[in-house]
Amino acid sequence: MSEWVKVADAGDVAEGEINAYTVGNRTIAVANLDGDLQAFDDTCTHQGCSLSEGDLDGTIVECPCHGGRYDVMTGEVVGGPPPESVDVFDVVEEDGEIRIRTRDDE
Amino acid sequence: MDVVVVGGGLAGASTVGALREQGFDGRLTLIGGETLPPYERPPLSKEYLRGEVTEPHLVYPESWYAEQEVDLRLGIRARRLLARDRVVELEGGARVPFDAAVVATGSRPRRPPIPGLDLEGVFDLRIHGDADRIRAAAAGASRAVLVGMGFIGAEVAASFRHLGLDVTVVEPFSVPLERVLGPVLGGAIASLHRDHGVEMVFGDLAERFEGASRFEALVTRGGRRIEGDLAVLGVGVEPATELAGDELAVENGVVVDAALRTAVPGVFAIGDVARHDHPVFGPVRVEHFDKAIKQGEAVARNILGAEEPFADAMWFWSDQYDAQIQMTGYATEWDDTVVRGSIEERRFAAFLLQGGVLRSTVTMDWKSDARRSMPLIAAEARPERHLLADPGFDLRTLHPPKEGA
Repeated sequence: MSEWVKVADAGDVAEGEINAYTVGNRTIAVANLDGDLQAFDDTCTHQGCSLSEGDLDGTIVECPCHGGRYDVMTGEVVGGPPPESVDVFDVVEEDGEIRIRTRDDE
Repeated sequence: MDVVVVGGGLAGASTVGALREQGFDGRLTLIGGETLPPYERPPLSKEYLRGEVTEPHLVYPESWYAEQEVDLRLGIRARRLLARDRVVELEGGARVPFDAAVVATGSRPRRPPIPGLDLEGVFDLRIHGDADRIRAAAAGASRAVLVGMGFIGAEVAASFRHLGLDVTVVEPFSVPLERVLGPVLGGAIASLHRDHGVEMVFGDLAERFEGASRFEALVTRGGRRIEGDLAVLGVGVEPATELAGDELAVENGVVVDAALRTAVPGVFAIGDVARHDHPVFGPVRVEHFDKAIKQGEAVARNILGAEEPFADAMWFWSDQYDAQIQMTGYATEWDDTVVRGSIEERRFAAFLLQGGVLRSTVTMDWKSDARRSMPLIAAEARPERHLLADPGFDLRTLHPPKEGA
């Protein structure tokens, strides 16, 4: 069953930054785009680097290892070597917590 | 419109992928001299050589080409490009007509005329088969001799040490990568390899490879005799320009303008083979992975009419042991170096400036600042020294505003 899981306190992700949190057996990145949070799988599909260590450029995150680029709104690859998109997750900030909704299939 | 891409490496694959991504629905042919579909070469000196991965890292699965209606012709080389007839002639004489053609034939290892180079047990490293042969030879070996300590030599040295081989490298300069990095930063690479037990002989050259039936020793110009079970040559590459014939200008690569166009309308060149008139750096021929992808993406837009200059600052990485080196920009000379972090501790970003303009950034285990330098280099920015030197200062705050933003 999907469920909302607290990953951090509200305000934990600064504007323009990305943090990574362990949820179950995966690591999920939470980006703060001018106040809006977006959550996506932290692991680059190319060679497994951590996308949260990359930089945001608008809605694009760039992998720090080999330059793969994803749109964090959709998880789709927009450039570079990654073969596949990354999953995106619902994320909310409420009651002083950042919460992510895990998937049914996990 | 018919588009022919000659060259089955990363640049060629990126071009066909980007063309389809951008909605091109004409006939599309990709001609590759190797028998494997386009694959990524970086693992060949690293994970693949060490046996940590055993399969080629394909850019797209083989089935992708049929799904995308790309006519993928492998194991055949293009003999020449006939500009006036607008055809590419293949080995065997078949002709492939084109409205637009992309020369992405890449490069091949330089093989200077060193006696004994053809002995069994002397290798160079470019294609998958090379990595397979080296891996097989290394499996029963205890001592390896490397000639040249550029990025390939340094990565192979690291992989061989990981496999437990004794490694001796002969390098004509006084440190690894001296021409690219200069003596100080090159010294950091030398100290990394020294700490990992690599024997480095600087200021000396390969004179000949010796062996009765297979490689036994390298004899150097300086008179050393270095015994080993195998040898790997890593002395750079040369562009594979044969296709150009008399029809395309060649000068250290196929000559293209800022928008990747040759002088023949509709004929482009990208990747290792292209000597590109970069808007910031002037004429350059560079051999980076990321640039091959981005030039493929750019040439696809230009085939479809964008006529954009390719102005990316260019960036690459090199993994050696557990150290990651990154570099961006292009500088053959610089008059100032600003460092944040510590070269001695091998955790640093070094900014190379010429006349106050940031030309290149080299980092070692310092993740973000090479990529964060790219917009500054592309804009020929003149960042203040004290800001560059301050690890707490975020380079992104200096980035020029985006066009249209």
